[in-house]
Parts: sequence; C-alpha cells; structure tokens
Amino acid sequence: MTPDREDPHTLAGAYAMDATDGEDRVRFEQHLAGCESCQQEVRGLREATAALAAATAVEPPAALKDAVLHAAVHTRQLPPMTSQNAEPVTARRARYRGWRAWAGRPGRAGWAPRLVAGLAAAVVVLAVAFGIASYAHMQGGLDQAQNRDHTVAAVLSAPDAQMMRGHVSTGGTATVVMSHRMGMLVFTAADLPALPTTKSYELWLIGPSGSRPAGMLAGSGHGRMVGPMVVSGISGGDRVGLTVEPVGGSPRPTSRLILLL
Amino acid sequence: MSFTPGRRNPRSGPAGDDAPGVPGDELALLLTRVARGDQPAYEALYDATASRVLGIVRAVVRDSAQSEEVAQEVLLDVWRSASRFDPALGSAAAWVTMLAHRRAVDRVRSEQKAAAREIRTATADIAYDEVAEAVETRLERERVRRCLGSLTPLQRESVTLAYYSGYTYREVAALLGVAVGTVKTRMRDGLIRLRDCLGVDQ
Repeated sequence: MTPDREDPHTLAGAYAMDATDGEDRVRFEQHLAGCESCQQEVRGLREATAALAAATAVEPPAALKDAVLHAAVHTRQLPPMTSQNAEPVTARRARYRGWRAWAGRPGRAGWAPRLVAGLAAAVVVLAVAFGIASYAHMQGGLDQAQNRDHTVAAVLSAPDAQMMRGHVSTGGTATVVMSHRMGMLVFTAADLPALPTTKSYELWLIGPSGSRPAGMLAGSGHGRMVGPMVVSGISGGDRVGLTVEPVGGSPRPTSRLILLL
Repeated sequence: MSFTPGRRNPRSGPAGDDAPGVPGDELALLLTRVARGDQPAYEALYDATASRVLGIVRAVVRDSAQSEEVAQEVLLDVWRSASRFDPALGSAAAWVTMLAHRRAVDRVRSEQKAAAREIRTATADIAYDEVAEAVETRLERERVRRCLGSLTPLQRESVTLAYYSGYTYREVAALLGVAVGTVKTRMRDGLIRLRDCLGVDQ
C-alpha cells in the first residue's frame, strides 16, 4: 500500500462510504479530528450514503426480528462515554474520540485504558503462569519468557494498540492486541477444542498479498489459555487468521479459517 | 421496562432520510431510550430500520443467509452501542446505516482477504445494473436513481462500486483502470452532488 502524500481532505468521500481501510483510514481520521470543515463535510456525505442505503430496503423475514429482540434481552449494553471513564483529553482529542466512538471504533482514550488495564491484568496472570511453568520445566527458558513478557507489555501499552476479540468457529475465543507502530501483535486464545496429536493450530498474518505463517500455537490449548504469543513483522492491512494444520505447520493455510480478526 | 419519554437531545442532528412515518428526530429519540435499555423503544427502532439495514447489507454481501446473519449482528450492535450515538455527529438514520454498511464491508473484505482472491474486473457493470434493478420499486429508489443518474459516469461508477459493492477506493481505481487520485476526487465530487440532489443535510 503506497501512502498518499496528497491533501487528506480529498478522502472525505471515500471515507464516508467506508471505502478507505488500514493506514488511509487511520490517517484520515487523525486529520478529521482537527478539521472542522471536514467533519461537517463527512457528516453531510454520510447523510447521502444513508439515502443510498434506504433505497436498497428489503422486507426482513419475521424470524430476524424474533432473533434480534431475543438476543437483545441477553446482551449487555455499552455504557455511555463520560468524563469518568475517559482520561482527560484535549478538545481535539475529545472530538476525535467522539468521531471514532460514533463510528463504532472507540478512540483509544475511551476504551483503551479500561481495556488495557483488564488485558494487562490478564496478561500478568498469564505471564506468572507461564513464568512458573517455564521455571519448573526449564530454568534457561525463564530469561526468554521474561523478555517476551516485556515485549507483550510494550505492545499492550503502545499508544496505537488496537484490541480485537473474536470467537473461533470451532469453539473458544481469541484476543489480539496489535500495534502497527511496533509492527507487532500479541495473540491469546482460550478454550480452544483439543486437537488430535497429528494436528496443531497455526496462526496467520493475512495481508493484501496473501497469507504468511505467524507461528504454531503451543499445546492443544484445550480448556485453558494459549499464549500470549508475540508476532512481529505486521504490515498495514494485515489481519490475523487461525487454521488447523498438520503438526509442524504449513507454509500456506490448507484448511478453512476458523478465526479471522 | 419504562416508557419514559427520552431526554431532549441538546443538539439535533441534520435531518436524515428516514423510514416513512419516522422522522429523524423520532429515530434519535428512540435511540436515546434504547440506550437506557428500553425494549419497546428498541422494537420500534427495529421496525423503523431493519429493512434498510438488511437492504444495504444484502447489496454488499449478496448471499442472503450471510446477509441476514450480518444484519442481525448490526441490529444487535445498535442495541449494544446506542449510548454511543451522538446526534451532533449525524442523524440516527446515518448512524445505523453506517454501522450496517461498515459491518457488511468488513465481512466481504475479510473473506476476500482470507481467500486472497483477485478482484474480478467484470463486476463494474454488474454492480450498477443490479442496484438499478433493485432500486426500481419505491419512490425512494426512484429518487436515488434519478440523483445517481445526474452524476457523471465515472462519479456514478466510483460511488456505486464503493458503496453498493463495498470496494475500497484503491480497488475501485483498479477496477476502472483510473488513477487512485482521480477516483478519490470523483467519489467526493459524486457524493457531494448526490447529497445536494437528495437534499439531505444543511
């Protein structure tokens, strides 16, 4: 992806139609934060896209309504953004956050402190567990583990850290914290189904030019946490995928993706 | 669940293009009630928005089973994140639409990436034709069609490929064989013209 050096303002149309991604989108949103006229323009263009969408309206099946209303009863709602759950921010930052929150992509000031706090706690627990395990098994591995834990902490606290969480289609959940600035991500998973001894979970970086192996998940992971696993060499537009591969891994995915974040 | 009237929005957003009988302010009001966990308000909001949510998701995703799945996620997301809606940043209709379009686009893009598929050049004409066909029955569709028709061919193709087919502007440039910078400006100019033609906002 070649960066554009033109006036980011011209991206307003593409942005309003969600036709930007990766770096383009991040850069435009940063520009948007400090550009009143762009905000006004995007607002107007969004209204135009709403009309484009309204023109496609189709009658949904009755079952959809039942499913949605039923699911809502069992779904906890997000609290509103308040000055209490966000750290003090500049007006510019607040506006940026407002836009990102409105756009369904919470700004870092809103969600990051809570998320990073929660995640950091989880990672500390993991690190302790991992540290103890590796100490018991292999003294020499401890330094390595500690180094890795430092890296984990660095990724988690990176100013551009983004967290994604998803369900693995075969069972279990996965969490990824990614810092594009560091070009690294931290992967953890929980409750993955056990695999036969000939199979193993393999992590992938999936970018515009295809999939690159990002490492094998240690152990079967059954019933407990896997990771934190540090993956470096992330580039813009990369997503994280998981497949089941023969033990030892494959150079290319050979089975269906069971997770894509 | 209480049915207390929602607090007045301190700032009212630009007038949106809403479902018949449900003006923009009404939708925004419903959202503020939904944010407080008001189930009847959520049902009313569902009735007012589900058809356009499913519509735009289906335009982008195409597969109808998958579209329903995505639409369900979107509508649930409206419930979940209603408190994050800020009328100062746009109408309720635009917000719901954006959640829907974005999720649909995310879905097709993740699949494209997962399969590492090449973009098929043949889709350029199909996209507009299919949309034009789908856009036939209602007044709303007629209006949008008329306004789309007022764009230059390149503006129209850029806008429809991006919005209805979910391509990024770089992909649109590749599909149309036009410079990336050109597509960016055509999208912006096209959307501005569309906005003015539709008479939404300001």
